[in-house]
Amino acid sequence: MCLQNFPCQEVERHNKPEVEFKTCKELLLNPILICRNESEKCLIESSINSLRISIKVKQADELENILAKKFLRFLSMRAESFQVLRRKPVQGYDISFLITNFHCEEMFKHRLIDFVVAFMEGIDKEISELKLSVNTRGRLVATEFLRQFT
Amino acid sequence: MAAVGVQHLAQCITCHAWNSDMSMVALCPNNNEVHIYKASMDSNSVWERVYVLEKHEQLVSGIDWAPKSNKIVTCSHDRNSYVWSLEGDQWQATLVILRLNRAATSVEWSPQENKFVVGSGAKTVCVCYYEEDNNWWVSKLIRKKHHSTITSVAWHPNNVLLATTSTDSKCRIFSAFIKGVDARKDATTAFGDVKFGEELIQLDLACGWSFGVHWSPSGNSLAYVGHDSTIHFVTDVGPNPRARSISLRHLPLRDVLFLSETRLVAGGFDCNPMLFGSDKSRIWEFISFLDEVKRPAETKTDTVFAAAKGKFKWLGSEPFEENAPTTTHENCITMIRSLAPLSERNPEKSIERFSTSGLDGRVVIWDLTNVDDVLARLRI
Repeated sequence: MCLQNFPCQEVERHNKPEVEFKTCKELLLNPILICRNESEKCLIESSINSLRISIKVKQADELENILAKKFLRFLSMRAESFQVLRRKPVQGYDISFLITNFHCEEMFKHRLIDFVVAFMEGIDKEISELKLSVNTRGRLVATEFLRQFT
Repeated sequence: MAAVGVQHLAQCITCHAWNSDMSMVALCPNNNEVHIYKASMDSNSVWERVYVLEKHEQLVSGIDWAPKSNKIVTCSHDRNSYVWSLEGDQWQATLVILRLNRAATSVEWSPQENKFVVGSGAKTVCVCYYEEDNNWWVSKLIRKKHHSTITSVAWHPNNVLLATTSTDSKCRIFSAFIKGVDARKDATTAFGDVKFGEELIQLDLACGWSFGVHWSPSGNSLAYVGHDSTIHFVTDVGPNPRARSISLRHLPLRDVLFLSETRLVAGGFDCNPMLFGSDKSRIWEFISFLDEVKRPAETKTDTVFAAAKGKFKWLGSEPFEENAPTTTHENCITMIRSLAPLSERNPEKSIERFSTSGLDGRVVIWDLTNVDDVLARLRI
């Protein structure tokens, strides 16, 4: 994550994350796509002053689909407090991070990396827990409801 | 061995420059101001801020202090550059008409201090000189030769040749001979008689963006770094240069400084300065890191169970401490400056002290007087 301050080449007095605008080809690095299997992948795009990490989480069935979407939308809506999170995920992915040189100046690089890795590890766990609790609750409610008929 | 003084002066330092006798340092704390501190080489001292120069409107990206004339030149992302001179107790600024339409990225005084060069994001290089008749600084632009932002500029000791590096991964050498400012005899270089703005050599050795170009004290060699973690040395700069590139297994470097004809120090995203040297065979090699890396203390855990329990608390605690910074600088080193006072500067003598500043807001002073002992110990 070797980012540095870079004033915009296209517009004077501006400083934009180059990976978002992609106006100058020479300032972008090759994107890397890491796939664990068909349904889980991670795209890392980098440039001279910014880095974008997009993750697609595993969604085995409909229920997981809905849970993941709601949960990640909840987090993305509160992207301001996370600072490195992007409000809208990149097309084709579930969640995206945008790290700029300003974040690297304020925070330690190794802690930023730890945060992203911990986030990815935590996501799968959270979604399975949510699914378990939904199923448990559904079962309890159904049992109680049908009890009145027996 | 090496770091003798550390000063934490700001959250982030963009660039710094020393005056002629190393008593004051000017630096930019990542905003539009330039702070001048009274420095002392005593490692326990606290540096006192004496002046704040506020004229720029955006980040100050380059500072250089001319040792003989005691003038400071600054350039900023707001496309402007100012020349500051000390009158009595105040620093007075003179605006330089750069005619740039994008941010300026780096600036350097020429060895004779009658010119300075500014590199910019407008893909142009401005060479500025003082016009006595109109009492201001005028610029001459070198256009159309660069394909992208210029990241770093460096003057050859003869006051005429100029090297630039750019994000189009090339390093170019130009002639910056200005009629009326440079004497005709200075124009005879290894390339013969050349006029202003002529591109003499284009070096395409790096595969990534290039930064940090610097000439050796005699001007015979040149070094620059590439973002692909390479460092390139070019010797016998002239019509037939010889080049050597070293690919490093570490993070990319940002800036270099020649300590002598055979020694060079470079610093970058590893937060640790690296020493390179060339021996009798004139081939450059990596010698060693200069910072003693402190191993983090072994975390004491009474039982295996306690350690495992500690790992599960990732929400609150810090399980990844083995990646914590163990070097003096905690964030990228962005600039290296030599600490040789003007009276002691000599092309024959090697520079023994230098300072580095970085994105962690620290200025660290390094002393290499014992480097030969260390090198002797390193060799088997």
